[in-house]
Order: sequence, then C-alpha cells, then structure tokens
Amino acid sequence: METDPNELQPGRKACVQCGELIAAKNKFCNHCGASQYAILQLTYKDRWILIKQAAFYYLLDLGICLLALVDAFETLSWLVIFDISSAVIAIAFFAYNWDDTKSCLRWESFSLRKLLTYCGIAIAGQLVVFYAVTWLNITIFSRDVYYYGFFEGYSHGRLLLIFFVAVFPALFEELAYRGYLLQVLLKATDEQQAVYITSLMFAFIHLSFISLFWLVPFALFLGFTRIKEKTIWYGVFIHFSFNLTSCLLDIYAHR
Amino acid sequence: MELTTTPSNETHLCDSCFSPVGADDQFCPHCGYPLKGTPEEQKTFKSKQIVNSIDMADYQKKLRIAANTLYYLCGIFILAAIVLFFVHKDEDQVLAYVIPNLILAVIFLLLGAFTKKQPLACVISGLCLYVIVQVLNAMVDIKTLFSGIYIKIFIILFLIRGIKSAIEVDRIRKESNLV
Repeated sequence: METDPNELQPGRKACVQCGELIAAKNKFCNHCGASQYAILQLTYKDRWILIKQAAFYYLLDLGICLLALVDAFETLSWLVIFDISSAVIAIAFFAYNWDDTKSCLRWESFSLRKLLTYCGIAIAGQLVVFYAVTWLNITIFSRDVYYYGFFEGYSHGRLLLIFFVAVFPALFEELAYRGYLLQVLLKATDEQQAVYITSLMFAFIHLSFISLFWLVPFALFLGFTRIKEKTIWYGVFIHFSFNLTSCLLDIYAHR
Repeated sequence: MELTTTPSNETHLCDSCFSPVGADDQFCPHCGYPLKGTPEEQKTFKSKQIVNSIDMADYQKKLRIAANTLYYLCGIFILAAIVLFFVHKDEDQVLAYVIPNLILAVIFLLLGAFTKKQPLACVISGLCLYVIVQVLNAMVDIKTLFSGIYIKIFIILFLIRGIKSAIEVDRIRKESNLV
C-alpha cells in the first residue's frame, strides 16, 4: 500500500531516492544528496530518446491529419478510417508507456461540483469562441464554416456529427495529448514546459492558424487542469462539453 | 575557505552556494554539495560545477542560434505577408492571405523571445510549426518544398541542435540551481 508522506507531515516530502522525509522546499536530499527534480533522474540520452518517441507519435498523428485534408478523402468512410487509425496509434503509444501513463487514468480527486464547474467554463468558452470564429470567418474569408453540412446528407447526421466532433476527439485527443504526450514530456522536462509543448503541439495539429487564438488558451487550460487534478478525466469532460456546445450551435444557431 | 557561522543560532552556511544548512545535513539541501563528504568528494563536486558552467556557455550559444532562427522565421513571414498584400491588394480576400502569415510571424516572434526562459518548449514548438507550415505548403504545391531547400535544411538543423542544447541547459540549470 502506498502512503503519502505529504499527508502525514505538512511541509515535508519523501526523498525520491532514499525515501527519508525532507523539507518540501529542499532541492536536494540532505541525507543522500539526490536531486529532487524529476528530470535529473534521467540521463541526457534517455530524455532525448523520450523526445524522439514523442516526435514520432506526433509525426504519425500529423500524417493522418494531413491526409484527412486531401479532397479525395473527404468522405464519411475515410473519416472513420482516419479517426480509428489515430485512436489506435494513441492507444498504442499510451500502452507502450503504461507504467508512466496509467496513473493519469485514475480519478481520485472526483468531485461532481468541480466537474460541473469545469464543464460550465468550457461551455461559456465555446459560446465566446463560436461567435468570434463566425465573425472572423465572415470578415476575413467572407465565408462561414459549417461542419454540419458534411453530415447533413447522412441518416442520423446529427448523431454522427456529435460522435465524430464531440465524443471521439474528447476521448482520444485527451488520451494522446494530455495522457501520453504530457506524461512522456514530464519525464523529459519540467511541468511548465511539458504543458506548453503539448498545448502548442495540440493547437498546431488542428492545422488552422486563425484558430490558434482560441486553441492555445483552450489547450493550456486542459493541460494545467490535467496537472492540477492529476487525471485526464476532467479534461475529457471539458473537451466533450466544449465540442458538444460547438456542434449544437453549428446545428441550431446557424439556421 | 572559512565557514561563516553565527554562534547565536548555530546557522551553518554551505561551502559551495553559501545558503544556510542544518548542522546535521549530510548534503546541502540547496545545491547538493557533500557537506560531510571526504575532501575528494567535495573536490569532485566543485569540478563538476566548473565543467557545467563551461558546457553551459556552449549550449547557450547554440540556443541563441536557435532563437535567432525563430526571429528569422518571424521576419520571413512578415515579408510574405507584405508581398502577399501587394499581390492581392485588389481582391476581396486579401486578408485571408495576409492574416495567417502575420499570425505565424507573431508566434515565431514570441517563441524566439521566450527561448531564454523556456528553451525546450519554444524550440520544439518552433520546429513543429515550421515543419507543419512546410508540409501544408507542399500539399498545395509540391515545388515550394524544394525552393530554398538548403536554407530549410539549415533552419531544421539549427532548431534540432537547439532542442538538444535545451535539454542540457534545463539539466544544468536545475543541477546548479540556476532556476
């Protein structure tokens, strides 16, 4: 059974190497001299390998996103194939690093009130973003982007839209970026930089430079929530409610 | 070197970083100096710190080159925005050409400016964005990939070298407590 020494004695922590209780502010253990920075536990080579592995994942995901942009692939069956491939890749990388990544699947800090607050923030954020994006698209590009149009011809088009825009990305983008990628980068660098890197990579992969103005803050919000709550599940629900609001606005407000 | 002690409250100072340490501490909690170690261990510690500071100068030089590469990219995209503005200035969609380039310029400017503070985050993000822009351009017209190919290769090499240096700078900063 794991005991958390922080809970037993406030202001104390266990040394990462020898386990002795030391002052929480100590950068090095005063008993064994080990650095308390997680990244110093790994050598340069190990960290470079982790970064290369993260880059490999990102290139695969980027490849899929780029293929999806090609006109010939803009059909529902290709969408299913691309979504499944990116989910499989995310799960594979997540599973490969299972020892490190499994901790973020726990949800020890569960609180319904917190969850609803986060979802509320996400919905409010989407309302602002939706109207800002519509305005920008009309002003800059003299056109309006309308996701539902793609699904409108299919039976159960609305359900398909919600599934492919809200459910699937919420689950697998969180698993990939806040789950796998962030966890790997946490070993290679410090918390702050890991969140910045995953947030920017997440924002860039949407391949829309105009959208960066909301994607970056949104991704930072998800990243810091993940670090604060030590679970990806709040992120999954934030992402879901954010995208679901966008779907509903797309279907109903655009009429 | 003489230890400065204040007898009234028994405060000891670390021999290496001069921060206050406890009387029973085996190692300095601030810099990891072996307070109770053999002279040999203490000497090794100090020489490692000197090596670190020499390496640091080299890594920071490579990081500066990476930061300058990001500034250069910022300039390129500003230039592209200006050129595109004059080429398309009579069209309705002129902003659609100009604004994405200006956004990229602003991002590269910010990444360059924050490279000193958050080296790894800035250089990795810069490289990602640069690769994405190149691939997106190539998807529209494959020929764009090969125009200025040598400059592109140099940009990517400088940024990769920046990432490698950033990993080391992060380590040394934390090891020598320069955070």
